[in-house]
Amino acid sequence: MMRRTVLAAAVALQPAPGLGQTTLRDFGRGSWAALLAAKAGRPAIFHFWGLTCAPCLAELPEWGRLTRERPDATLVAIAADPAPQPRARLAGAIAKAGLDLAEHWTFDGTFSARLYFEVDPAWRGELPRTTLVPAAGAPEHVLGTADFNRIRAWLDRQRA
Amino acid sequence: MWLAWYASGHLSVARSADKGATFDAPVQVTPRPARLDLGADSRPQIAIGADGRVTVAYAILRDDRYNGQVLVARSSDGGRHFSDPVPIAPGTASQRFQVLGLDPDGHVFAAWQDRRDDIPGHTSKAPGHADAALVFAWLDAKGAAPARVAAGTTCECCRLGLAFAGPGRPVVAFRNIYPGNIRDHAVVAFQDRDAPGPLARISEDMWALEGCPHQGPALAVSAAGTIHAAWFSGGGTRMGLFAARRVAGGGFSDPMPVGDPGRQTSRAELLARGTDVWLAWKSFDGERMEIRLMRSRDDGATWGPPRTVAATEDESDPPLLIGDARTVWLSWLTKREGYRLIALDPDS
Repeated sequence: MMRRTVLAAAVALQPAPGLGQTTLRDFGRGSWAALLAAKAGRPAIFHFWGLTCAPCLAELPEWGRLTRERPDATLVAIAADPAPQPRARLAGAIAKAGLDLAEHWTFDGTFSARLYFEVDPAWRGELPRTTLVPAAGAPEHVLGTADFNRIRAWLDRQRA
Repeated sequence: MWLAWYASGHLSVARSADKGATFDAPVQVTPRPARLDLGADSRPQIAIGADGRVTVAYAILRDDRYNGQVLVARSSDGGRHFSDPVPIAPGTASQRFQVLGLDPDGHVFAAWQDRRDDIPGHTSKAPGHADAALVFAWLDAKGAAPARVAAGTTCECCRLGLAFAGPGRPVVAFRNIYPGNIRDHAVVAFQDRDAPGPLARISEDMWALEGCPHQGPALAVSAAGTIHAAWFSGGGTRMGLFAARRVAGGGFSDPMPVGDPGRQTSRAELLARGTDVWLAWKSFDGERMEIRLMRSRDDGATWGPPRTVAATEDESDPPLLIGDARTVWLSWLTKREGYRLIALDPDS
């Protein structure tokens, strides 16, 4: 408990991130499988959002708060606008939401239906959308904005 | 045949006298670049009347919070020139998702989603913050009739479906909000020009969503007056694309699943002519986005097998079906191939 408090304080003391500090990786064909493989064996949250999605932007600061409150959580945020948005604008929205602690990706201009299909064949690109992947067992999908009590409860179960 | 499209902040229209083989020079309707409402379910609308009268309607966004305004422009010289666009209705509350249509007598009917709280019949939670309602007006040549509420509360980010059961008898389909934030579909069938009928639920999908599906319904009315609807549901009791019909005097049939829900099925489109009904939708096979089509020859009692009529390997518009007395076409804009008007085989 003591250790967590110290960690949270250390995070709070970090200077506010500037625009240039968010690394945005390209999410293209094969990225989803590669990401799942890279994170395999520990719980991870994959959050799909978009600059062109108003509810996503309204919710994004909640995800930012979650990363500060729960440093144990691995959060991967993927900007899934069907037409990729300018990186500077994505970075601006990420900074504004305080989501700089997450790992960031953006659709790379590949035909968006193909990327949706790789994540879930039934996904038509609706945003926001979140996939909770446990260390072992079946992933859970949250369609639409998230109930953060549910997300926190899920994270608690992963620690147990 | 006429096309209306958005590009670079402008709404343009163009006419083809040879069924899409060639088009006259495009005419720009917007006098200056506008912040057009380019959402997935938002489309410019065009109604071609007799005597060279052309009416177009489109929506712009007033701010970053998706508050829109519907504008109307008219031509009386066959679309060579258009009047300056004027708001379809007064007020600063959001107006979006306009549909325009000509009834069989040639009167122009418009319906849209409107968040004004000062229209008779509107329910308002707080001044200036009304929920969206389905609002209509007849846009006859002498000016717009006062807008009136046909139904509310509607899901404010989904398109409307419009068809006519006869002169002065529009039918409008929309995603309604039922108690519990359930966003299921309903129709309002007008009894006459100014009398929207009761709200009739199309199906009980029970899809509750804190958010917006950005997918409204498709609608067609056959010669016998049968109402055909197709829609998307993302949860509740059913998921995927569905279709149902209401034979005159009856209720809606049980929803019929359309296509494979595991293939991103979406964006249904309907066309009825006589006892024939065509239903088109988008379906993705992992590589290609296809337009699938099926046809009924008995007013929707039975349907032939679905087939693929066009495909693309990059972004694309929803499909549109148009027809004249002899032919039905798929009208489709794709990023890779451009605009295509594809005549559908009359025998399949």
